[in-house]
Amino acid sequence: MILKGIAASEGIGIGTVRVVITTPKEISTAAPEDTEQEVARFNDALEGFCADTETMAAELEQAASEKEAGILRGHIQLIRDPFVLQQITDEIRKGLNAESATDRILNSVIEMFRATGDQLTMERATDIADIKTRLIMHLQGIEDVDLAKVPAGTVIVTEDLTPSMTVGITKDSVAGIVTASGGYTSHSAILSRALEIPAVLSVQNLLDSVHDGDTVIVDGTEGSVILSPTDEEIEKYTKKAEEFQEMKLRLEAFRGKPSVTGDGELREIVANIGTPADGVIAKDDDAEGVGLLRTEFLYMNRPSAPLEEEQYEAYKKVVQTFGDKPVIIRTLDIGGDKEIPYLNLPKEDNPFLGYRAIRFCLNNHDLFQAQLRALLRASAYGNLRIMIPMITRVEEVREVKKLRDRCIEDLTREGKHFNPDTPIGIMVETPAACMMADRLAAEVDFFSIGTNDLTGYTMCADRGNSQVADLYTAYDPAVLRSIKRICSCAHNAGIPVGMCGEAASDPALIPVLLAFGLDEFSVSHEKVLSTRYNMSLWTRVEADHIARHALARDSAANIKRYLKDKVKRRISR
Amino acid sequence: MVSKQLKVTNSQGFHMRPATVFVNAMAKYKSDVTINFNGLTVNGKSLMNLIAACIKFGSEIEVVCSGEDEQAALDEAVSMIESGLGEE
Repeated sequence: MILKGIAASEGIGIGTVRVVITTPKEISTAAPEDTEQEVARFNDALEGFCADTETMAAELEQAASEKEAGILRGHIQLIRDPFVLQQITDEIRKGLNAESATDRILNSVIEMFRATGDQLTMERATDIADIKTRLIMHLQGIEDVDLAKVPAGTVIVTEDLTPSMTVGITKDSVAGIVTASGGYTSHSAILSRALEIPAVLSVQNLLDSVHDGDTVIVDGTEGSVILSPTDEEIEKYTKKAEEFQEMKLRLEAFRGKPSVTGDGELREIVANIGTPADGVIAKDDDAEGVGLLRTEFLYMNRPSAPLEEEQYEAYKKVVQTFGDKPVIIRTLDIGGDKEIPYLNLPKEDNPFLGYRAIRFCLNNHDLFQAQLRALLRASAYGNLRIMIPMITRVEEVREVKKLRDRCIEDLTREGKHFNPDTPIGIMVETPAACMMADRLAAEVDFFSIGTNDLTGYTMCADRGNSQVADLYTAYDPAVLRSIKRICSCAHNAGIPVGMCGEAASDPALIPVLLAFGLDEFSVSHEKVLSTRYNMSLWTRVEADHIARHALARDSAANIKRYLKDKVKRRISR
Repeated sequence: MVSKQLKVTNSQGFHMRPATVFVNAMAKYKSDVTINFNGLTVNGKSLMNLIAACIKFGSEIEVVCSGEDEQAALDEAVSMIESGLGEE
């Protein structure tokens, strides 16, 4: 039998299942025989919980995960609340068993947190839920599993990886990870990719179908889990695993090489990153710079906006990581699905068509100028470029430039160092910007095509909505025509054009993008080498031919089939 | 029973970390510690209840201590809140 899920971390793993339970058994309603003994049982479980949590926190600290360690220590502080412990004890003395008493009182705390309507307090409710679950599991005698001690060839099967479980997982012992929930960007997925362990997530009915000791194959490239594989299947997948390793080696040959087409035309492959720390990883993965640094990390999970100085230090760090190579930093892109409580943005019926990104920044000059000043000051340390998201009108660009000029005047007066010619560019991700690309190109120093939003806005489809998700595809001729137009407008104006959406690393779209003359491909760091490899497969003449034939078709399905077939034949050549 | 009215001056208010600092300090006193805020009476030794009260920067609160070491408890509570609850 084959179970399907989300392909979250590439590779093939074959091994023996170890099911890790993260949810308690059903809570019994039986009254305790001796209430004082029940109180003692609760206190024992509480001490066990605190001791285990402290051990995990210490291990996390060892593994340089201070943030996760801090969260776990916070859990100990929270549950050591004398008032709440007294309430639980009172409930037990009134005749509830320890599990039920814990459940009832902590549920009321969760309710109390949620009822405040305060974002930060509501987030803490998930910590209480975490504490409740683990404390009840301690009462039920379900142990926290120490994943550092599993034998080699273990496939971990669980509801979802939690920070406390991730301590001790290594590539040497864990052959694969399969979970019942989580998406491509979940904690489990990020961790699996970082450890290079094949992973399949969000598998339905997982815990009913898989049991301790089962042999399974985890195909993290296709997103499938093969249960009770036959000898032929094991043979087939062992071969596939070898091919995967071979491909990895083949890609290694592209490390440190220039990014060129089959006939030697030079392009650029850079990385999309979310934090300065990612910059170091991207550089290790051979990115030739940064095509998109999202700055939201500076603004999220904190009570107030970051000051100029803190931002300046963060930007400077990334710029210095890359020396003279370009680092494109995008100004604040909040709104849509990204919420920042202290900005007090009103709830909107239609956030993706609402008050977000540059629309917000142009109405909040203090916040925006602090960011522009920090960016300009960091420009003194390398090759920094500023990128503005969510542009729809030419006036927006002019207003941004006016604000930039004011910042430059102020910085000059203050005697601060900066590069006065810091390039300023825009994300082209709205149909309006696409239609106005010729005029916008005259105003800015570069374009970067954000295909994720451009696809959504062009097709009017939310990829998270399964009813319309099939409309959301960059293979649609409407999207490809838009990309082509944006590239031509940029080149007519003599400015470079890049792409920072997922389409830039899609092997089947790469020949089309080469034909359009895309100058810069900004991809997630682990795809730098494969993109360079895929680029090398095509000469300009071949790419032009393929793009012409693709654009002659009028349906996404047809274009996709044609392009996938082309790339498949080329790779097996 | 002793009490004092004062204003919360640290930017995070009684959030996770500052509230933890506060309850840890109050735990050593035998007296009951209560914070009156916005019509609520909150147990000053209960981290969960303090967080749920959402006491923000600039809030006017009253600290009430009652018990054998009430004056010492109140003095420390007031000096902690006035000095920003351990926030840098």
